[in-house]
Amino acid sequence: MVARAVEAIGRVARESVEGLGRAARFGAQSVAASRDVSIWWPQTTPQALELGVRSLPIGAFIAVFTGIVLALLASYSLSGAVPLYFVGTLVEKTITMELAPVLTGLALAGRVGANIAAELGTMRVTEQIDALETLAYDPRAYLVVPRIIAGSVMFPIVVASAMLVGVASGWVASVSLLDMSSPEFVKGLRLFFSGFDVRYGLIKAASFGTAVTFVGCFSGLAATGGAGGVGRAATRAVVYSAILILILDAFWAVLLLTGREPA
Amino acid sequence: MKRGSDFIVGAVMLGVTAAIVAATLWLKETDIRGRDELVARFRDVGNARIGAPLVIRGVRSGRLQRMELVDSWVHVRFSLDRDVAVPRDPVVILNESSVFGEWQATVTERSALPRDWDVRHELDEAAGLSGIVPGATLPDMAQLTAVAARIAGDVASLADRVDTAFDVAAAREMRASIKNFAQMSSVLSDAARTQSVNLGEAARDVRSGVRSLLAASDRVRDVAARFDSSTSRGEVRHIVQDAAEAARQLREASSRILRLSGQLDTAQATLVSVLAHSDSVARRLHAGEGSLGLFLRDSSVYFQTDSLLTQLRRLVSDIQSNPRKYLRVSLF
Repeated sequence: MVARAVEAIGRVARESVEGLGRAARFGAQSVAASRDVSIWWPQTTPQALELGVRSLPIGAFIAVFTGIVLALLASYSLSGAVPLYFVGTLVEKTITMELAPVLTGLALAGRVGANIAAELGTMRVTEQIDALETLAYDPRAYLVVPRIIAGSVMFPIVVASAMLVGVASGWVASVSLLDMSSPEFVKGLRLFFSGFDVRYGLIKAASFGTAVTFVGCFSGLAATGGAGGVGRAATRAVVYSAILILILDAFWAVLLLTGREPA
Repeated sequence: MKRGSDFIVGAVMLGVTAAIVAATLWLKETDIRGRDELVARFRDVGNARIGAPLVIRGVRSGRLQRMELVDSWVHVRFSLDRDVAVPRDPVVILNESSVFGEWQATVTERSALPRDWDVRHELDEAAGLSGIVPGATLPDMAQLTAVAARIAGDVASLADRVDTAFDVAAAREMRASIKNFAQMSSVLSDAARTQSVNLGEAARDVRSGVRSLLAASDRVRDVAARFDSSTSRGEVRHIVQDAAEAARQLREASSRILRLSGQLDTAQATLVSVLAHSDSVARRLHAGEGSLGLFLRDSSVYFQTDSLLTQLRRLVSDIQSNPRKYLRVSLF
């Protein structure tokens, strides 16, 4: 009885570490595959179009409503002794440093992560990956590297556009729905603005892009067992991407914000 | 197709990058044509941060660009908007512009400074380098809170001393003294009233006596005249004249006594009024009416005052050590 319990603990530990090991090996092989530029470079732009440019509307859509809600929430929270122009400060700080990267990242984890996992998973279960290997194509260089590079480059672009749209919508909401003038909002925007706010959000967005595309590719290529396996791979990709986004969010906050002087 | 996708991706990347860079420059109020610069030196810059506004006559005209430690000074560089004229003989004052930690720098003429000895001394110290404007920093909320804490400490110390010198027994004794004073003023008032009646009667008696004397004098004069007419030497007339002179002097004395009596009446009335007021105040104090009466009558008022001062001192210390506990901005 005791021996079985100990055995179960050992099995769970081994499987956990095994998963991490497989992911690490996959990452190392992908880095090695990136040396073959002639294979992944032509595939990068179409992937950037698919993962980035076509994700702009969803990022902007989320940002519009986030900006409006944030402006109203800020005015609600600040009513009283705090001047209303702090609405601009809160909208700017919150959108650029947190909400635009994280909400857009989570939305793209669903859209991009699931898309990649389903596509590569289908290729795996229909043996197209095996066919590529037979033709001496490295599937990592051909399928994984361009997606990860496109994700890492295009996520910050999508998040930057979401920042602009979010702040603009917060501005419009403040002027039209609150008793606040445009110069007041701009005063709040500029009050504690620092270039670091934007850099911080974009660094996070790049790391989220890398994480989402990496997890999508890893889950897709690990898919087994037909359509059900592809579905499980897509689900796993979305869940792990979302978890990774939140972990990375905390990681960057601890790394870049701890001990930093306020703007 | 591939060229088309390349173009779209490139255009989106360039467009978004240009937009985010332009927005950042706009928010940082960066002037790509370049700006004038103003350098000031301070002993201490308080809580001022990069980006703090520079204000001239209430108009935002630049921002704090850089701070650096030079020997025992802080050299602060401000960017000035183009076409902004700095006042003659300028000085820079750093001060808190709101209770939310915002600081600003104000450029003004030295002659327009408030008559604050500390500020002027700080500016005189910082002056002397060509091309560098002298600067001074006004105390922030934390320093003001520290002063308030010190005042609260002093008030508490004063309360302790009052507590030591003016305990419950002292208050009781003071109450008894006031009660005695009230009784004494009542007795004095009665005595004054009695003496006033006596004086009035005496004055009336004197007046009546004088009238009798005058009547007697008149009769003597008549008799003397008749007698004088029957004599030729006139001796009797002299005697009568002396008697008339004595009567006149008596009349003057009587008038003076009457005037004195009138003044005594006035003084007595004033004394009665004063004593009546004292009596009323003493009665109110004794009855515990009014602030001092309550303070004397009810020892709990004293203890509550002392307790309030102690709590005030604790509150001020707490605000000083935990300002964020009392000033919180909630986002959600």
